[in-house]
Amino acid sequence: MKATVGTTTRKAAIGIHLILIFGALLMVGPFLWMLLTSFKTLGEATQVPPIIFPKVFQWKNYADATVTLPFFTFYWNTIITTVAKVLGQMILCSIAAYAFARIEFPGRNVLFVFCLSVLMVPSQVYLLPQFLLIRDLGWLNSLEALIVPGLFSAFGTFLLRQFFLSLPKELEESAKLDGCNHIQIYFHIMLPLIKPGLIALAIFTALWSWNDLMWPLIVNSSPEKMTLSAGLASLQGQNMTHYPILMAGALLAILPMIVLFMFLQKQFVEGISLTGSK
Amino acid sequence: MKKRGLTWVFASLLVTMLAAAGCSSSAPPAANNSAESPASNSGNASNQEKVTLTYALWDQNQAPAMEEIAKRFTAANPHIEVKIEVTPWTQYWTKMDTAATGGVLPDLLWMNGPNIVKYASNDMLLPITDQIKKDGIDMSNYPEALINLYTVDGQIYGIPKDFDTVGLWYNKEMFDAAKIPYPDGTWDWAKVKEVAKQLTDPAKGIYGFAAMNANQSGYYNIIFQQGGFVISEDRKKSGYDDPKSIEALKFWYSFIEEKLSPPGHLMAEWDAAAKLFESGKVAMMTHGSWKAVEFGQNEYTKDKVDVTYLPKGSVSNASVIHGLTTVIAANTKHPEEAWAFSKFLGSKEAAEVQAQTGATIPAFKGTQDAWVKAFPNFQAQVFIDQAATANPYPVSKDTSKWNALETEYFTKVWGGEMKIEDAAREIATKMNEFLAQE
Repeated sequence: MKATVGTTTRKAAIGIHLILIFGALLMVGPFLWMLLTSFKTLGEATQVPPIIFPKVFQWKNYADATVTLPFFTFYWNTIITTVAKVLGQMILCSIAAYAFARIEFPGRNVLFVFCLSVLMVPSQVYLLPQFLLIRDLGWLNSLEALIVPGLFSAFGTFLLRQFFLSLPKELEESAKLDGCNHIQIYFHIMLPLIKPGLIALAIFTALWSWNDLMWPLIVNSSPEKMTLSAGLASLQGQNMTHYPILMAGALLAILPMIVLFMFLQKQFVEGISLTGSK
Repeated sequence: MKKRGLTWVFASLLVTMLAAAGCSSSAPPAANNSAESPASNSGNASNQEKVTLTYALWDQNQAPAMEEIAKRFTAANPHIEVKIEVTPWTQYWTKMDTAATGGVLPDLLWMNGPNIVKYASNDMLLPITDQIKKDGIDMSNYPEALINLYTVDGQIYGIPKDFDTVGLWYNKEMFDAAKIPYPDGTWDWAKVKEVAKQLTDPAKGIYGFAAMNANQSGYYNIIFQQGGFVISEDRKKSGYDDPKSIEALKFWYSFIEEKLSPPGHLMAEWDAAAKLFESGKVAMMTHGSWKAVEFGQNEYTKDKVDVTYLPKGSVSNASVIHGLTTVIAANTKHPEEAWAFSKFLGSKEAAEVQAQTGATIPAFKGTQDAWVKAFPNFQAQVFIDQAATANPYPVSKDTSKWNALETEYFTKVWGGEMKIEDAAREIATKMNEFLAQE
């Protein structure tokens, strides 16, 4: 009896693993294709029926990608923008979220609904007004234009507010009894407790910032102020695209995100399951 | 310990944030049309103010040629520098529309047919008719169809930069195997169909002709060749309900109905026809001069295919011609310098620089040889010859609106959901409504 249970669970485990392996291959397939394409010649990349392995590995594509575009400037701009946005969102959203969750003040709910309503509006709608604001600030073609509109987000506020709400009120009350004010409660008691939320927000913000394409292209024009994703997009011609170089560039661009993922794998998965989005 | 670590991180973040905010507010605002401050005048060369012009374009493949032209221009005009800014095609017009609304268009920008009337009639651009007259620029050096394309309400907005026409591409190997002579200028559409029947081989998945759901490289040409039209000359009426246009469209689609072309749903997919052509599954197709670069580099097509004149319709064998120009934004702070560069872009010297890269056919008469020579395997001269008789690419003020109708309805036809004559009439009705609002 025991033995049969053992084999059935074992069989089930093998079955599950087969499915998982299949799924994993399916997921990693496009990535591998991208990797292989980045080593092909243009002819090999556009050949039909497609070939899987290049005859000769064209390492040159990587060099070409970094020469065609000021890659390191793009990297630098993207890193600065991403770091600034992540820090900004962690600080500003958590402060706002704390206020919305824990401080009773007149008009709190109305304000919160306003804040939430931003989430409902498709981003294309405020593209033009935001552009005009940036123009009036004299920030067109600058890193400020990339960073400042992304320092705060309604999503982040909403997300962290939910975390603050889930904390027991007693914590706050006992802190008050010990003589803490709101800033101290926020800083010493509440903030450390919503660490998973903060990490999730940081990850999402980093991903969004890293991949943002439209906004950098709209507000900035000169290559010195471009981000990676925007700069890479310019490798796509109207009539012809050199796919291997584009793929090589794209791989270089996502490398930091892959490294980040490897280190923060657990938090990534937790973040997605906590918030139900990615 | 952990807790204190986090606190420390946050405290330091707040400090950095404040510092960063302080920095950014003290930094000088970056202006888009960056005129350098007069302080940068170096005394020895000239006392002219140093000017930087911004020049927006969308094709990275052409950026090297544009950089070279800008370099030569600055060599001749040391006080003017030209900064080239490439925005990818997919975002280019969103960016320009936004910038136009904000009054911060780059000094000079690439313009195409579908957008010229919209930009010109909304006063976003500077007309250059007077400057052309004053500086005595001979406009007969450029294809007339393109000058007309960039003339709005009697004002010229740009000197033609380049052009593209359409030809009949064919697979030499398949013609050799079937012992059929290659197509040439004497062919008409009946002949194409007859040969397509001979070359189609369902067992091998080979089709004689690819009837693409594409306007410029596809059905526009045959509509004009059969005496039909897409839009009336006064841009008030759609030509899609014209009997001759419908006849042409029906003929075009008949290749798919008779299974001489790959199935419709495939032909409605962007670039699928060219990919099939590049893999030896299609014997003939109409496509633009811009494909020469790709076909010339592709391992398969580089020595197996060639191009010839479009087949004749009942009226002509004319191709549709389109081309780009560079326009000057109305909000430029340096109209004179912008015109100087615009003029240089239209010059013979600039055209020759463009021709050498093979990326595009320069518009200046007599400079196209270098482009033709860039494709020794193809009869590329065909595209130049076709320019002389070509029909201008049809446009109106809001071209994109009815271009979207074409895509919407013809995708249904190519997907087998609708008859092509019904689709054409529907497009005509809706297009006339749009045109009435313009």
